[in-house]
Amino acid sequence: MIVGEQKPLAEIKKTVAPYKKLLILGCGTCVKTCFAGGEDEVATLTSALRLTLKKDGKEIEIEELTIERQCEDEFIQEAAEAIARNDAVLSLACGAGVQDIARRFDKVPVLPGVNTTFIGVLEKQGLFTEECVGCGDCELATFGGICPIARCSKRLLNGPCGGSKDGKCEIDPDIDCAWQLIIDRLKTLGQLDNLRNYIPPKDWRSSNAGGPRKLVREDHII
Amino acid sequence: MNKKSLSQLQIVLSKGDFAVTAECGPPRGSDPGVISKKAELLKGYVDAVNVTDNQTAIVRMSSITACTHLLQMGLEPVMQMVTRDRNRIALQSDIMGAYSLGIKNILCLSGDHQSFGSQPDAMNVFDIDSIQLIHAVRAMREEGKDMSGFDLKEPPRMFIGAAANPFADPFEYRVIRLAKKIDAGVDFIQTQCVYNLDRFKEWIKMAREEGLTEKAHILAGVTPLKSAGMAKYMAEKVAGMDVPESVIKRMASVPKEKCPEEGIKLCVETIAELREIKDVHGVHIMAIEWEEKVGEVVKAAGLLPRPEPT
Amino acid sequence: MNKNFKPKITLFHCINTFSDGASLPIAAEVDCELQSVKLPCSSMVKDVFLLRSFESGSDATVVFICPEGECRYVEGNIRAKKRVKRVKDLLDEIGLDGRRLSIFNISSGDEAAAVQNIQKAISDLADLGPNPAV
Repeated sequence: MIVGEQKPLAEIKKTVAPYKKLLILGCGTCVKTCFAGGEDEVATLTSALRLTLKKDGKEIEIEELTIERQCEDEFIQEAAEAIARNDAVLSLACGAGVQDIARRFDKVPVLPGVNTTFIGVLEKQGLFTEECVGCGDCELATFGGICPIARCSKRLLNGPCGGSKDGKCEIDPDIDCAWQLIIDRLKTLGQLDNLRNYIPPKDWRSSNAGGPRKLVREDHII
Repeated sequence: MNKKSLSQLQIVLSKGDFAVTAECGPPRGSDPGVISKKAELLKGYVDAVNVTDNQTAIVRMSSITACTHLLQMGLEPVMQMVTRDRNRIALQSDIMGAYSLGIKNILCLSGDHQSFGSQPDAMNVFDIDSIQLIHAVRAMREEGKDMSGFDLKEPPRMFIGAAANPFADPFEYRVIRLAKKIDAGVDFIQTQCVYNLDRFKEWIKMAREEGLTEKAHILAGVTPLKSAGMAKYMAEKVAGMDVPESVIKRMASVPKEKCPEEGIKLCVETIAELREIKDVHGVHIMAIEWEEKVGEVVKAAGLLPRPEPT
Repeated sequence: MNKNFKPKITLFHCINTFSDGASLPIAAEVDCELQSVKLPCSSMVKDVFLLRSFESGSDATVVFICPEGECRYVEGNIRAKKRVKRVKDLLDEIGLDGRRLSIFNISSGDEAAAVQNIQKAISDLADLGPNPAV
C-alpha cells in the first residue's frame, strides 16, 4: 500500500487560512489503513482544526467526507457536489489522490493534508516499512524476495557495504541491513550462489529517472 | 600497456616489493597549501597517496583536484572515487579527465552515506555500486570502451583498487564479496584498519583458499592510535571497525602523554606482523590528521628507503 | 489566573470501574459541571470524542481506565492510555494545552479515588484557566 502521514496541524492551519468553507476529503483505501486519511482521521483533523482556529478567534466552515479512493474517477465523482459547495479541498489522500482531484476539478484549490512517504507494508500493528520504490523492473527473484533498492541505504546491487554490523545498517541501528536479510534468506533457500554472479548496473529507464511513467492497457480502452 | 603508463604503485607491487601507501584528506576549502604541507610530510616515505573523495560525506576540495596538486609536487596519487555523489555519466567523465591529468590509480568505493556528513539533507546518487564502478574502469582499460560500449580514443588505463573490510558482517560473506571485486577487475585491495590480527588472518586464509590472493595485491590498512579514547571511540562508534579489548587496555595502561608513542609502537608492531603474513603485499597507513607521523612509522617499520620511481 | 470560573469537566469512564460517573459523590463545595460518558471499555474512546468534548466546552477532560492487568478485554486500558497520550500532544499543537486531558487508573468501585482525581483535574485548571476555544 501507499503509506503516508498526516501533516503537522500548524502547516495545515497555514495552508487552509485563506478559505472560509473547506472540504476535508478522506480516502478510504491506503491512507486509511495507515491512519493518515480515513474517516476517523478526517473527523479528528476537522475537530482539531476547528478548535485551533476558534482559539485564535477565527471561524471556518468545515465539511467532512471520505470516499473509497481518490485515485479513481468513479469514486471521485461521489465528492463532486461537496467539492462544488466549498472554497477549497484539503485532501488526506496520497500525492496521487491530491493530483487526481485537482485534475478533475480545475477551478478548486486542492491542498495536501498528508505527506506521502513510501510504498510499504504493515509489518505489524502500528509499524509500516518501506519495501518497494517502483523501479519498474523487479529483480526480487535474484535477491530472495528482499529488495536492495528499496531497503539498502546505498541501493547496492552487489552488497553489502562495509557498514553492516550485527545485521543492522550503519546509518541507523533500527534499520535492518537489507543485505544481511538477503544473505540469510538465500542461505535458507540454498541459493547463496545467486550472489556470486556480478549484477550489472541497473537500467533506470524503467524507473522515475526515465521521466514520468505511463501504463497503457489497450484491452481496457474503448 | 607500455611501461611509461604504469603507475609507481603498480611497479612496486608487480616487482614483489612490500608497498606503502598513505592517506591525504583534502581541505574544507580551496587552499592548496594544506595539500602541499601534507605532501611534504609524506614525500619519500610512501609509494602512493590515497586522496579521499568527500570522506564521511563532508564537503571538501575534490579528489581529482587534490590529486593533481600532489602530482605537481612529485607524489603519486590514488584517486578515491565514490558512487554516492555522481552518476555513471559523471563518474566516467571524471575518470577520463583524471587520467588525462596523469592520475593513474583509482580506488573505487560506494562511499559513506550522506547521513553521516556535513549535509545530511543532500540527495544521494548511488546510480551504480563500487563493484559496477570497478567493472566500468576495467572495461575502459581492457576493452577501450565506456559503459555504453562506445570505443574511446585514448581510454583511461587506471590501476584499479577497491576497499575490503575483513571485519564487517556477515563474516562468511566477506570473501564472496572480495571475490566479486576481484572478478570485476580489481588489481589491489586496501583493507579497513587492522587491529584484530587473528580475524584478519582468518580472512586472508579464506581468501587464499578461494585463490583470491593470487589475483590481487592486498594492502592491509593500519591507523596509529593517538589515545585510549580514540581506540574506544573506534571500537564503539565506527561502523565496521574491530578494535579488540586488549588494544584498548594497552592504550589505557600508559600515561596520557605517552599514548601517542604507544600508538605508534603498536602500529609498527602490527606492520611487522602483517609483513609476516604471506599474501599481504603492503600496508596502507591511514594516519588521520596525523600525517607527520607516517614517516616515523615507515622508518621504524624498516620500510625505508622506498623504491625510486622509474 | 482566572480562578473564578465554574469548570466544565467531561469524564469518560469504563463501566467496569463504576456504573455511572454522573452519580459520583462529588462534594457540594466542589463547584463544577460534570458531564459523564459511559463506555463499555475505555478503549472505545476515540481521538475525535476527546477533541469534541473540548469543542462542546469542556475545560478539562478526564479518562478513567481499569488498572493494568485488570482490563476485561485484556488490553483496552493500554490502548486508551496510548490514545490519550496522542491526543494530549495534539492538544498542545492545537494550543489548548495537553494538560487539560488527564487519565487515571481506577480500581473497580473506588469512588473515593475517582472523586480525588476529578478534584485534581479541577485544581489543575486554576493554572490553565478556562478552555480558550469556546
